[in-house]
Amino acid sequence: MLKRILVANRGEIALRVIRACRELGIETVAICSEADRDADYLRLADEAICVGPARASESYLRIDRVISAAEIGNVQAIHPGYGFLSENAHFAEVCRSCDIGFIGPTPEAMAQLGDKNSARKLAREAEVPCVPGSDGLLSTEAEAVETAKRIGFPVLLKATAGGGGKGMRVAANDLALKAAFQQAAAEAEAAFGNPGIYLERYVERPRHVEVQIIGDTHGNVVHLWERDCSTQRRHQKLIEESPSPRLAEETRRAMCEAAVRLAKTAGYHSAGTVEFIVDPDGNFYFIEVNSRIQVEHPVTEMVTGIDLVKAQIRVASGEPLPFSQDDILARGHAIECRINAEDPAQGFRPCPGRIERMTAPGGFGVRFDSHVSAGSTVPPYYDSLIGKLIVHQPTRREAIETMQRALKELRVEGVQTTVPIHLEILSNTAFHESQIDTTFVERVLLG
Amino acid sequence: MNAAEGSGDVFEIKQLRRLIELMKKHDLSEVDLEQGDARVRIRRGGAAAQPFVLPAQPAAGVPAEPAAPAAKPPADSQHTVITSPMVGTFYRASGPEASPFVKVGDRIDPESTVCIIEAMKVFNEIPAGVAGQVVAVLVENGAAVEFGQPLVKVDPGA
Repeated sequence: MLKRILVANRGEIALRVIRACRELGIETVAICSEADRDADYLRLADEAICVGPARASESYLRIDRVISAAEIGNVQAIHPGYGFLSENAHFAEVCRSCDIGFIGPTPEAMAQLGDKNSARKLAREAEVPCVPGSDGLLSTEAEAVETAKRIGFPVLLKATAGGGGKGMRVAANDLALKAAFQQAAAEAEAAFGNPGIYLERYVERPRHVEVQIIGDTHGNVVHLWERDCSTQRRHQKLIEESPSPRLAEETRRAMCEAAVRLAKTAGYHSAGTVEFIVDPDGNFYFIEVNSRIQVEHPVTEMVTGIDLVKAQIRVASGEPLPFSQDDILARGHAIECRINAEDPAQGFRPCPGRIERMTAPGGFGVRFDSHVSAGSTVPPYYDSLIGKLIVHQPTRREAIETMQRALKELRVEGVQTTVPIHLEILSNTAFHESQIDTTFVERVLLG
Repeated sequence: MNAAEGSGDVFEIKQLRRLIELMKKHDLSEVDLEQGDARVRIRRGGAAAQPFVLPAQPAAGVPAEPAAPAAKPPADSQHTVITSPMVGTFYRASGPEASPFVKVGDRIDPESTVCIIEAMKVFNEIPAGVAGQVVAVLVENGAAVEFGQPLVKVDPGA
């Protein structure tokens, strides 16, 4: 078992990793920027090292400083959390060449799956259904139009180096496609440094269903069932749940097995998520792989009873997975609401500032993962997530009721939060009846 | 910003000037005042202020970072502190047998090397960034340093 780990992240995920390490008897070295120096969770680490000024590009994203911190902190491995350097294959490579463990997949697996186009190729190889689309990157406008005519409009132009819902454009006909093509390439170059774009059929009103997988370094890969993350706004997830409501059992099994097949084909180990979209007819298609622990991992932890972060650390220590596929059972229903310091009444404007008062909810079936409390400052330099509220109950209906109760108990004064929008979604009939797709929030609630 | 209405208005220039004089006189480093919907926060000195504008737009007001190394204004007002521009291991001299780059009492100028910080097997010479006399060396030879850690105290007036 690893003995000392650097936590190369901040906020709630840093706290999450520190907690797992404390239970495993592993020493932690946390990093922070100058803006996070007074963060409360740092006192739970054995050491905290400042790696730069507030701006992420000068601190959390500075590979040289993170590695230096790992060296002076005398750690054996680095946990990258999510975001920041967690899906940076170059960083994983630097760790390897400096003989520092990286708690995640190999740089090769990460690079192969991180490139959307090569991930699709791998998926086809693993016989995982993909959205009908171009066979690789598009070099000309003519090629785009020809592909679109073959697979049928509307189509979605996607950046191969994109992610997190960015770098996508819909075109409903060939005129729109011609106009969009050059722009999409230019945007991709500007945003991701890679102008490569490809094309997929645009699935209208899809559901976003993702499968959690984990692999070890002995060739074992298992899935931990799925999460439904269709409740989104502008491709940012608001609410996640498991199991995915209204998903046929055979579809569920087929998706989970496909995810494991893909991970094995890619030589993947550690935690990862295979994302799919499900069309209104119940067909599923592979979209991309997130080769990191995700924000919404607690949803899976609640239904399976498995600590995913500890599992990642065990895998990174060289241990085989302590469970087989047959051991992984899903019980009950879990829902997570992402609590962001944003004002839903003002276009979800981020609301950094000082939290004057705060009361966390509790009770049966309630889990609140948050790094902030009264007196905490929410800095303006990073994402606005201040906590994740997760509930677990035997049925979906009860989970919704508990979440409503818990959201009303949660009190945050000093900054605006997204609690009101969550309450609105959870009282919506379509949500109760699981008539959700990724356009739901924007169509129904925000009009 | 409201038009000056008299001595009650926090944004009135005369008031701000008085506030700043008071801060200098009593060596206060930060003052934060609220009046109704208005708020003014003044932080004295050196390193670019953290913009804490309410309500904040994250894109606006990101401070210009001081070029490494930061010569920050001091906790005691006479001295400047040279802080670490990187994470690594601090060395007072270029080698185990060599004499230290600086010792207490030495006169330095901005280009003087004050120490080496080793990071990832690279030995970086750290320039002073200020002129003056070395008052204290704050880190032990061979100790680990983080970003922003005070390294050497300098009297810029000397």
